[in-house]
Amino acid sequence: MLRRDPLANPEPLIRRVYAYVAYRVGDGPDAEDLTSETFERALRYKKSYDPKKGEPVQWLLGIAKRCVDGRGPRLELASEWADEAAPGDVEEEAIRRLTVSRAVATLDERDRELIALRYGADLTARQIADLLDVRTNAIEVALHRAVGRLRGAFGETDDAPPVRKREATR
Amino acid sequence: MRYWRRRQEPFDLEAELRAARPEPSNELVRTLESRVRNDGRTRVGTLRVAFVGALTAVMLVALGSVGGVGYASSAAQDAAVSVKRVVQPKKVVRVLKKSPAIDQYGGKKKVKKKVKKAKKGKGAKGKVRARTRPPFTG
Repeated sequence: MLRRDPLANPEPLIRRVYAYVAYRVGDGPDAEDLTSETFERALRYKKSYDPKKGEPVQWLLGIAKRCVDGRGPRLELASEWADEAAPGDVEEEAIRRLTVSRAVATLDERDRELIALRYGADLTARQIADLLDVRTNAIEVALHRAVGRLRGAFGETDDAPPVRKREATR
Repeated sequence: MRYWRRRQEPFDLEAELRAARPEPSNELVRTLESRVRNDGRTRVGTLRVAFVGALTAVMLVALGSVGGVGYASSAAQDAAVSVKRVVQPKKVVRVLKKSPAIDQYGGKKKVKKKVKKAKKGKGAKGKVRARTRPPFTG
């Protein structure tokens, strides 16, 4: 019996994987490279996809996660090149994106991953729990805290602890 | 900054995170999409060849089990002979009339009598007469 092709409809998958990667490493060439690498690996190991273990997007995000975790240390931050854009020159939509990505970049690695999976790749808490191999409840709590910290980064009052500054190399 | 001024009113951070989700460039989407689709096409081609090969093997086994291979080979031989007959130039066919029936009843062989030429001279005439008539006894 023939298996279902996990990459049968690639376009939405590309968008979700890119959003996840970009929330983690910052929008730009690095995110594009990592997305390409993810799909190259996915094509190479397509036979390893098991529909019983989850949706194709979960499988792809698992690969993307390994690509992001396995990359070398970075010197520049997403927030740094986001600063380069002058608010007066770009449209409001672009400003909003940059502001959000800057705020996400201030979070620590774990929070950023959760935010990327939940709001970038649009996974449910349960799917994230399956992917990270933790309990759904733990993910929900961690996500709530991450959003609270992000609110803090936006300058809003929240009970969440202050945002930790992201390390320069990573 | 307009964005920050606008954000003074309470806003839904989660909706904002979804709306401001980073988007890949169209070029990246096109490139990756074509890469994925081309890979799929190659695999489909390979699968087709494998399927045809497997089908042929199955058919050979099935036919072999009921003697179809021998039947097919003899049919092919017959066809080859027929083609050969049509294509090859015709030879003169020599029919041999030789059978037991012909030996027993049929063969009217014309036996040529050896007629000796009469020799010239008396002696020769006398001899001839003596052979054709009864001997003179007186």
